[in-house]
Amino acid sequence: MIRTLDRLTPALSRGVTLCAVMVLVAMLPWISGRDPARSILRARMGEQDASPEALAALRDRLGLAEGPVAHMRGWFAGLAQGDWGTSWISGAPVLPGMVKALGVSLTLMSAAFAVALVTAVLLAGPTMRRGLRGRDTRSSGTVAASLTAMPEFMLSALFLVVFSVWLGWLPPYGWQGPAHVVLPALALGLPGGGLLGRLLTNAVAATFHERWIATWAVAGFSRRQIARAVLRRSLPALMPQMGMIVVGMTGGAIAVEQVFSIPGLGRAVLGAASAQDLPALQAGILILLLNALVIGVVANLIRVALLGRALHMGALPVARVVPLPPDPRLWLVPAAVVVILLVLLAAGLPRDPFTSQFLRLQPPGFDLPLGADGLGRDVLARIAHGALSTVGMAVLVTLISLFIGLGMGLMPRLAIGLIEVTKATPPTIAALIVVAAMGPSAPGALLAVTAVAWAPLAAHTAALVTEARAQPHVRIAPILGVGPLRLIPRSILPAIFGPVLRHAMLRLPGNALALAALGFLGLGARPPSPEWGLILADALPYVERAPLAVLTSVLALALISVLGVSLVSMTRR
Amino acid sequence: MSVLSVRGLSLSYPAPRRFLRRAAALPALHDLSFDLQAGERVGLVGASGSGKSSLLRCLLATEAAQTGHILFKGREVAAGPVAALRWYRRAVQYVPQDPVASLEPRMTVAQLVAEPLLRLHVDCDPARRAEEALDSVGLDPRFLSRRPEELSGGQAQRVAIARAIATRPVLLLTDEPVSGLDMTIRAQVVQVLRNLSDAYGTGLLMVSHDISVVAGLCSRAMVMDGGRIVEDRPVRDLLRDPHHIHTRELLNAAPPMTAAA
Ligand SMILES: Nc1ncnc2c1ncn2[C@@H]1O[C@H](COP(=O)(O)OP(=O)(O)OP(=O)(O)O)[C@@H](O)[C@H]1O
Ligand SMILES: [Mg+2]
Repeated sequence: MIRTLDRLTPALSRGVTLCAVMVLVAMLPWISGRDPARSILRARMGEQDASPEALAALRDRLGLAEGPVAHMRGWFAGLAQGDWGTSWISGAPVLPGMVKALGVSLTLMSAAFAVALVTAVLLAGPTMRRGLRGRDTRSSGTVAASLTAMPEFMLSALFLVVFSVWLGWLPPYGWQGPAHVVLPALALGLPGGGLLGRLLTNAVAATFHERWIATWAVAGFSRRQIARAVLRRSLPALMPQMGMIVVGMTGGAIAVEQVFSIPGLGRAVLGAASAQDLPALQAGILILLLNALVIGVVANLIRVALLGRALHMGALPVARVVPLPPDPRLWLVPAAVVVILLVLLAAGLPRDPFTSQFLRLQPPGFDLPLGADGLGRDVLARIAHGALSTVGMAVLVTLISLFIGLGMGLMPRLAIGLIEVTKATPPTIAALIVVAAMGPSAPGALLAVTAVAWAPLAAHTAALVTEARAQPHVRIAPILGVGPLRLIPRSILPAIFGPVLRHAMLRLPGNALALAALGFLGLGARPPSPEWGLILADALPYVERAPLAVLTSVLALALISVLGVSLVSMTRR
Repeated sequence: MSVLSVRGLSLSYPAPRRFLRRAAALPALHDLSFDLQAGERVGLVGASGSGKSSLLRCLLATEAAQTGHILFKGREVAAGPVAALRWYRRAVQYVPQDPVASLEPRMTVAQLVAEPLLRLHVDCDPARRAEEALDSVGLDPRFLSRRPEELSGGQAQRVAIARAIATRPVLLLTDEPVSGLDMTIRAQVVQVLRNLSDAYGTGLLMVSHDISVVAGLCSRAMVMDGGRIVEDRPVRDLLRDPHHIHTRELLNAAPPMTAAA
């Protein structure tokens, strides 16, 4: 009985988590604490106060009078019948529009996935060639790592400035023809391609170190045959990450669609979020989550088909670190980034980030090293103050997610469902839920990023705990009378804390960029606060008149990416 | 008087789960029954995979057998939470195979040896008892402040033995306690076990591949094959006249000095 329960725990955990997420989405209108009837009337008629009769009539018509539980039941029943709710703004059913937008997003994601695959092949190509010639297959993978660390919204802004505004090669906005797909697909596909390329490079390099390669070469197999065998051997290990990369794209697509004004699901959901049109927002969030879920399940099925291997607990995917001899000069890069940040802070902190004291879009000058933004505010001051708040928030996110990750990872069987669902949730989707519940705010962004940032740490913790529990000195503990609770401070935590802390610190720059992305999308810090994502969003409308302003904030964000990449490559051993 | 009686013990491991299907369970122990007398020294031999370690895990109540009973002085022993088994763990202790790995690297020898005394609520002064236990395995108090990495293999195994006998157990279960050590140290550790058993009347159930160790230390031997006990007799008789073909193979595999021991 206990054994059966024990075995079922992971399945139960997954099921309970999915149900909880569904209920959370269904309850969003009530969690938000807004009176739906009042919200609808305000949305349709502006700020004027609605009469009590009008409110009551509307409540009646929407079936709101019967309370949250009955409404939730109605919402689920509607889902089953294809009635996903009615927009509070337009009064039209939300589903058809969302499905059409989903089609656009899926097209964009397919193109981006193709970009990612091509990028990965290009990145892994040199390693494959070196391997086939029988040379050393190691590579530093810096290019791949740099691509991986670029957030989509930042690449989008960069491409917009360079290829549309300066070079005029490709259209900046819209979704009318193949030319409109190129830049968005690049911005969305390159980060995933970088990650995939790095993983593929590692897998191929590892395969070339196996003995059979030499045997095959001696036996006279052609290079083409060996290359095919190496690929077949290396690919299955990449499947879980492949799924994670596509899931990540569902989040990245939201930002890309926003920058390039693509009428996809992401933009529809962002629009619903900023209008507080909760039925549309609920439908959008649900589709995004289902999308991620389906991708995750499909990737897993493909992996099982490829490997025929057991889907057991030990299979929690963990970031594997490439064994490379550390370059003693590697600390130079992060040190340089920190120095630049310090100079920025020293120069900008004494200045005033809020007052519009200059001309709108005033170009850089001696008084104004980085120019003024669209409201005539000092960009240097805004970037410096933004650095302080973005990095401060990121540190907070990192510490909180470290503790949650450790806690969850210590009970992996119970938490596995939560860990998996959370790992499959991009921070943007988490932020949409938070915004639906409590409106956009900086603490909300902090909550949203923390809510997903702990999951990779928990998965890492879980893997390390499994490893630690297999140690003889831990396995003998029950015989010495050491119970499972006392075991945690005695043997488990000391063994895992160092590696997990290091992992958390490596994620600090990524968390900073995730916070900035939320600010950029209007899901985080509110104007006029000087937050880096917000600074970029403020500059973007003037991209044609003042592309330099966009570039400045992109470069500031790139500093964080570089910091992340260099820290990661420094700690590789 | 029988301290430990085992009746009808059977164990099978759940088969590894494959995608959407499950193979048949893997049987490891079949209907085992035997008794251990107070202070008796028994060797447990058998080929690799015959179920020796599985049997020890059942006797240590870290693995729950599907059927059968284990009675310690008439009291039923069942796998369960730590608190419910303290009484048993005080009386039956364990010396693992890999001495260095079985010692938590962050603890000192003093902490390691005192740990079971504290956790199993043994009524004594843990520091004094730890020192005594260390003394009885031939290590002087200098070692109390050392950590496992500062011990040699033989010293580490003595610490592991000291930890196991600190609670003054009635019965010591050991799984290949000397197979990780080289020849001369092996003899020392066997000597330590013999002295302890003589001095405190501690019973011994020792798994060993090396029949000469069993012959030198034990009065009785059980031979396992395929999860069954195929022979259970005094060592002397077993060496002179092995009944089971498997026992004969084991004897043949052992070095010639065996017969003399
Ligand atoms: N945790 C486990 N899960 C599944 N099967 C196991 C497990 N432990 C042991 N077995 C199987 O049970 C059988 C008995 O194993 P056991 O470890 O008890 O043998 P042993 O006699 O100790 O062997 P050795 O002399 O090599 O240590 C073997 O067939 C083994 O494969
Ligand atoms: Mg064994």
